[in-house]
Amino acid sequence: MDDGSVTPFTPSASWRLEPSIAAKTQGLVVSGYSSLPTGTALMLNIGTPAAPDLGGGAFLRKLAEIAPVTPAVPGARERSTALAFSWTGLQKLGMAETSLASFLRPFREGMMQEDRLRRLGDRREGQWLDTVQKGGPEWSANTPSPDRSQGARAYQVEVPGASLAIQTNAQVHAILLLYTQTVADADLWATDIKAALLPHGVTVVREVDLTLDVHDNSHFGREHFGFADGLSQPLPFDTSGAVLINDTPVTSPDPVQGVPLGEIMLGYLNGHQEVVPGPVVPGDDRTATARLEPHPEAQGFSDFGLNGSYLVVRELRQDVPAFWRSMDSSAAAIRAADPQGSAHVTADWVAERVIGRSKDGNLLCPGGYLPVDAQGDPNNGFLFLERDRRGLGCPIGSHVRRANPRDTLAPTADQGPTLLAAANNHRILRRGRKYGSKYDGITLKDPRLADPSQPDANQLDANQLDSNRADTADRGLLFMALNTDIARQFEFVQQTWLLNSNFGTLFQEVDPLIGPEGRMTIPEDPLRRTIQVKTFIQMVGGDYFFLPSLPALAYLAML
Amino acid sequence: MDTLTYLDGFAAGLYLHHIIYKFLKTGAGHMLQTTLSVPLDVRPESASRLAALIEQVKLREDKGRPEFAENFGRLLQDIPVLHFMSMSVFHSTSYDPIFIIEANFDGPPAVFWRQFEAMLGDVVRDMLRCCKKPLDRWATLYDAVTASGSQVALAPYLEARTQKPSVFHHGNRGLSRERVLSEAKLFVTLRDELDQPTQPYRGANAATVHQRLRDRMLAAYPWLSTPAPVRISPFEWFWDRLRFVVFLVITLFVLTLPGVILALLVPVFADLAVVTFLAILILASIFALRKPLPGTEVTTQFNLPLLLWKASPYIVGYVLAATVVLFPLDLATSWALSKFGVAPPELSMAAFWSVARHISLGLYSLIVVLPLIVLWLRYLETRDSSQDAPVISEALLEEMARKEDWVAQNHMGSIVLIKPGVLRTIIIRAGHRGLGLLLRVTATDGYLGSMRTVHFAHWAFLNNGSRLLFFSNFDQSWGAYLDDFIEKAHVGLTLAWGDGVGFPATRFLIFDGASHGRQFKNWALASRAVSRFWVSAYPDLTVNQIERNNRIANGLREQSLTEERAAAWMTDL
Repeated sequence: MDDGSVTPFTPSASWRLEPSIAAKTQGLVVSGYSSLPTGTALMLNIGTPAAPDLGGGAFLRKLAEIAPVTPAVPGARERSTALAFSWTGLQKLGMAETSLASFLRPFREGMMQEDRLRRLGDRREGQWLDTVQKGGPEWSANTPSPDRSQGARAYQVEVPGASLAIQTNAQVHAILLLYTQTVADADLWATDIKAALLPHGVTVVREVDLTLDVHDNSHFGREHFGFADGLSQPLPFDTSGAVLINDTPVTSPDPVQGVPLGEIMLGYLNGHQEVVPGPVVPGDDRTATARLEPHPEAQGFSDFGLNGSYLVVRELRQDVPAFWRSMDSSAAAIRAADPQGSAHVTADWVAERVIGRSKDGNLLCPGGYLPVDAQGDPNNGFLFLERDRRGLGCPIGSHVRRANPRDTLAPTADQGPTLLAAANNHRILRRGRKYGSKYDGITLKDPRLADPSQPDANQLDANQLDSNRADTADRGLLFMALNTDIARQFEFVQQTWLLNSNFGTLFQEVDPLIGPEGRMTIPEDPLRRTIQVKTFIQMVGGDYFFLPSLPALAYLAML
Repeated sequence: MDTLTYLDGFAAGLYLHHIIYKFLKTGAGHMLQTTLSVPLDVRPESASRLAALIEQVKLREDKGRPEFAENFGRLLQDIPVLHFMSMSVFHSTSYDPIFIIEANFDGPPAVFWRQFEAMLGDVVRDMLRCCKKPLDRWATLYDAVTASGSQVALAPYLEARTQKPSVFHHGNRGLSRERVLSEAKLFVTLRDELDQPTQPYRGANAATVHQRLRDRMLAAYPWLSTPAPVRISPFEWFWDRLRFVVFLVITLFVLTLPGVILALLVPVFADLAVVTFLAILILASIFALRKPLPGTEVTTQFNLPLLLWKASPYIVGYVLAATVVLFPLDLATSWALSKFGVAPPELSMAAFWSVARHISLGLYSLIVVLPLIVLWLRYLETRDSSQDAPVISEALLEEMARKEDWVAQNHMGSIVLIKPGVLRTIIIRAGHRGLGLLLRVTATDGYLGSMRTVHFAHWAFLNNGSRLLFFSNFDQSWGAYLDDFIEKAHVGLTLAWGDGVGFPATRFLIFDGASHGRQFKNWALASRAVSRFWVSAYPDLTVNQIERNNRIANGLREQSLTEERAAAWMTDL
């Protein structure tokens, strides 16, 4: 699944930040911690502390003792930590109202704002859609609707309607990501943290294990459906030299994946060639102690945003049997309709087209797969326009092509560079990991997954799948992505690419992987094929978080 | 005498221009689609009531009539010429609220207004009562229409208060609403036919598939047996070009006028020397000012030298065409004047060469006139204030968000104030005239250049040209639409909107400006109004899909296709 990274074992992992900046930045920005294959995400709720006079930041001081946030400085570590806050979390910590108002609108409103949920494809006209678990999400930041009552005004006539902020059972104020080398260590560490935070009124309302699943000799992990994941990541550059590869400043963009650092971190030139003014805190002794820089635009305020980022989190449950049943029935339908011309169509064949890559991550091309690169890794420096304009290899509507269209949307060849540059203004840095156990009976035992070259790989029938249905364990992807402009990056990808029913030249169909039940077109000469895919990914919870810099964290701990 | 001849020629040129435009106004009736808006000042005390009335009619028509499956079913049925329509109230700290009805429809306005009144007359009359009484000759009609219990027809009043667009674009140009809808229906039928579990198409060769599908569809779609109507008639095609050429010639004429006058007054050698010297001086000043203001540069893929190089044949052609038109014009004027004894007859070769010399020197003087305008403009630009953070009401934003992203299309309306000054006024007027005419010539393939998501959009001047109104009906979200502007169409957008007060810093009218993504979005957002009532006749069809449907339908209208053409046709299915 290209929508959330399971591993960062791609060339993009090799970029670093200039040392003085790295020391102030959370390590999660530069690394997915591939050397730490296990971990836990603790969703924290800040309640009433036993000793309220200690201030809202007291628990952060405690946390810094047992789970200090890891900086972006390279080095071998047995444990690593990242920490991000929701808007309600910052409010709970006691941040000033003026500061809370200085964050981006999507963050201030939260993911569960009714109009936003419609744009994200989660809810419409008061109903949760099929791509959300039954009964609605379990957790969010529960960001309240702002109070718009302005009192009586002369000649005012009420116009009906107000946007709701949906409330979930669990309210998450902060997300603490723990990365470890073993499951046991993760459990032990989490237990210690829970015990230490309890006196501060901070409880864990949800715990999600974080797994990297790297196969023996491969350089990538696989998501639960069995596909290589996290292959295509933006590669940052910075004209002022903040980004290094092999200790050399990267000041110009990679031709395909290059994005300005300001798309990933606040305080740097972004895709619109400007430094966006970030959130502020009033300048005082604490900002001086925390070494927050003065805000470049707001006199007398400190820059709370510099070297921070926004973290989008969505817990996506994957139904593995449903996925393969859907692929099987689609393949069977194609074979039944076209017995002469579709002997090659198997569940794997369909699934590859839904994703857009082979299970090993090689892009589908007309007549085969894109060959691996010199290191034997999936080649990722491709463009679509020249290679596969009509999607005869990698369908236009496939997940990878929707999630990052590169130059797909160029109507003519000469507009390719413009459209590639435009697409790169909507990139996200994925830091997701999968959770839950491997699907027992398919992930390992299924011959298709163990050895894709097996001749009868497609013969696993519905009965066999049904016999495995007993494995109903909770599994999926904790989708996490970093970006600096949530509306222009994450929300754009979700709304304008993935769930756009008119993406490219398509009509009335959305992303076959993360979207609801519906049609998918597989271009072919002379006549396209279509399949009907089911829903097999459901949102369980999610929200927008702010991932502060280390000085900003130090400031919060003083609140 | 020469001077007089030339000035008279100029007067005659203006008169000719006037006559042609008058003629073309009558010719406009041949256009398949019409775009217009009716701006009406609102009584401030009734603005909130007006908004409520609009909401009320929206609620009434959107849903709640079970006999119509689709939203706005009754309205779309009773106004069969309608493509897109909106009603919004704009608020600003600089002026009283303005109520604007925007309409995009097939055919002439009279038919539309008749259908509009029959459908919405009752509530629109109430809305008009919330508006100010005009102070000009329409006051009487306003009183008659809004009198208590009045039955006087609204259409004449609305037609009288209509504001014609200064620039407009019709996406999928030349396709009537009925054609858009029937071709969309055909597409779905074809798709379902091809998705049947067993069907005779897969495996057959392309020409056969075309034949079989045509035979299968003919019964339900008898119009497939008729040839496809032309989308742009030869008449329209010709007039669009003629109008544009006339505009170019007049522009050139005016721009060369100072040079011609100079040529008449001084000897050739002195003329050349003065013009060349001034040109060098001005170009040097521009060179000195070419750099962007600190912190306002945005580099893009746009390459002006390359564009100029590609356009050079057109520039040369433009100069030649203008010269060809101006020579006989001038000669004819001179001849005509001589008949009345105003000037001596000048039909000798010497006279011809005299005119040729003056016009050539006039053209040469463009190397001073054009840079001078650029320099003046650049001077203004370096002193322009941009508004980085215009005041945006959070409550208004919420209301906009509530009304957006329900269907494949969205709507926006915006009003901005126009920068004052002689040059700005000339540029925006001439620029809009030229851009509007150019679009008619170039945007004929259904799309607006690199913007492929615009259905109906227009600009119009309000309040004696002090404000600029913009309406657009587009595919995808507002954010994605603005990103399209920023990432693909920033040059055209900066040109068209750069004269708005507070627009992000521009450079030479086309650079930077809209490329300042965040500032540009803020600026555009602050100028918007809530699209309280907005209806589309085909809310799930994008410009792209309408063109695709049209290609498929046109292919199927043909009795047979060669294998090669059929194969190409099938890629759209």
